[in-house]
Amino acid sequence: MQVFLQTFIGGVSLGAIYALVAMGFSLVFRTMGLVNFSHGNVVMIGAYIASTFYLSAKLPFALAMAVAIVVTGLIGVFIERVLRPLENKDFDLMLIGTIGFGIVLEAVAIIIWGATGTAVPNPVAVAPVQVFGLRVRTYDLVVLAIATAATLLLVFFLQRTKRGAAMQAVAMDQAATAVGIHVGRSNAIAFMLGAALAALAGGLVGPLLYVNPSMGGTLGIKGFAGAILGGFGSIPGAIVGGIAIGVLDAFAAGHFQGYSELVTFVVFTVIIMIRPTGIFGERTVNRA
Amino acid sequence: MSRFVRLRAAVLSLALAIPVALAACAAPGSGDDSKKSTEGPIKIALVDAQSGQLSSLGAWELKGARLAIDEWNAAGGVNGRQVELGVFDDQGDPTVGTNLARKISSEGYIAMIGTAESAVTIAMAPILRDSKIPNITSGQSPGLVAVKSPFLFLNGPTSTTYDETLAKYIVDTKGIKSIAMITNNGGYGKGEHDAFLKALQARSVTPVDDQVVTADQKDFSAALTTIRQKNPQVIFIGAEEVQSGLIVKQARDLGITAPFAGAAPQGTPVFASTAGVANIEATIVSSPYLSNDINDATKKFAAAYKAKYNEEAELHGAKAYDGTQILLTALKTSNVATGEKLAEAIRATKYAGLLGNFAFDDTGVGIFATAIGLIQGGKLVSAG
Repeated sequence: MQVFLQTFIGGVSLGAIYALVAMGFSLVFRTMGLVNFSHGNVVMIGAYIASTFYLSAKLPFALAMAVAIVVTGLIGVFIERVLRPLENKDFDLMLIGTIGFGIVLEAVAIIIWGATGTAVPNPVAVAPVQVFGLRVRTYDLVVLAIATAATLLLVFFLQRTKRGAAMQAVAMDQAATAVGIHVGRSNAIAFMLGAALAALAGGLVGPLLYVNPSMGGTLGIKGFAGAILGGFGSIPGAIVGGIAIGVLDAFAAGHFQGYSELVTFVVFTVIIMIRPTGIFGERTVNRA
Repeated sequence: MSRFVRLRAAVLSLALAIPVALAACAAPGSGDDSKKSTEGPIKIALVDAQSGQLSSLGAWELKGARLAIDEWNAAGGVNGRQVELGVFDDQGDPTVGTNLARKISSEGYIAMIGTAESAVTIAMAPILRDSKIPNITSGQSPGLVAVKSPFLFLNGPTSTTYDETLAKYIVDTKGIKSIAMITNNGGYGKGEHDAFLKALQARSVTPVDDQVVTADQKDFSAALTTIRQKNPQVIFIGAEEVQSGLIVKQARDLGITAPFAGAAPQGTPVFASTAGVANIEATIVSSPYLSNDINDATKKFAAAYKAKYNEEAELHGAKAYDGTQILLTALKTSNVATGEKLAEAIRATKYAGLLGNFAFDDTGVGIFATAIGLIQGGKLVSAG
């Protein structure tokens, strides 16, 4: 029982990160119908910026995170701006464009920070909380709290603000333009928020893992899987899917050891075969 | 390794592979001529991860090898010819490695330094054997010996030596029998797992727990909680630097206080910074190069390394330095031979290196001893 619960806790902690990554994927997809393949690399850039300001500039962790979110958000805006001319011409090219951006971001990271990477010390140096023999890292609680807050803010933005409502409209119908909604701006905001979420995920995952230029790959694929599992384009789906992938991964690791990756993705594939639209699939948007 | 990158790499390499494949096809005939060239620089390839999670190994290895080559070149080269080092990035990926093996063969490199990853080296070995290119690797998996290639040499001991020394210290000297194991299923981790388990079995000790993780895994809650319940006195780790560091960090967060034990990766600064210096106290390390202060040769090497790169020398740089020195010595004694003759010259080279006295046997292993060190206050000190 103890192993079961401890495994669950470990899974939820990385799962919360995957959920943030999945939310970024879904946000861009529901607005533009585009899979942003550079998203994993944007996470990596966010992790690097946060860790650089935290370690080299000695800023407080929260401030370093804020800087990372702003800078990375601007990178998101830039990516969208460069790809925008392609949107109404060739959507496949736009997709490939995001792959290209991913490669560029990784190369830029290697040029700026080198290929080897850095370890980020835990910013919350408090002993783990003990409950019934279970140990919960205080940092994990911080991650969960921030991830929850970010989710609530995003949902509030999408449902309660004019700009958010406009993005919902764009997501649902191309005819949004006819009622005076600036589609390009909505797309830019989607990319910006997606990148900001990526920076949040990257900054938070730094102290849990090891920041290096190729870290975006694993985080990207797990986050993407989470988004698909939850129902691509759905925000609640991204959260449930991301955490589900984290927990699934943790239990597969416990029971199948060396074969855990295989088991995780076989289970994932089976779920997707049974329910191709994911858990919250009915809300999935498809504009492409 | 990231699958995203691989996916992209696969797409990109479609375009790149065609010229490479053509060059590879042309290699058997045309390659021989360029190998026999007796003028111009001597071309040696260094293949290692220069990007990705294992790139710190590649960076150290490059520094060690380059230091040795620069010293020879400054002293007039090998028999009057300068040595040229070509650097290739294998990304820690066996597929990339095999492509590079064909590439260095077709481009006329006569010998190869690297890689630092056993799995990559094992993948490259058959191609290098067919192309008759001697290879001095920094890998230490017993799987390298199992390849039985006469062109493959190791610049350090195998896991068998590392782990035999470790088991001897833990079980025989310290009398500890309650040992748990956590290893990854990659080339290095598998070698460590088998070698340490064999050393324990030889002492009639059964590990209280034997956890295997994947080389990509980031969360070890399940494995570590299971280990914690068995309450071992020592936990053996067989994983690369970063992953070992993450395992130790998470273990301490889960309340495991037992010391860890392992081979080369546990003695590195990357392991220390990933785990956190306070978390690695009392780690037991089996290494052929415990510190830069072993003797005059290591002090001299460490000083030159520091002067050139402004950082402290460590095991992997030292290993690559030794390996490169052996290769260059063999080139000198064989009057810049290639192929089988060069391999024979390497095997015949007796070399007093930083790690000890090298004398290669038929398996390509030249050194058979490691020493035990303990991490105290973040520094590795001899347990002697």
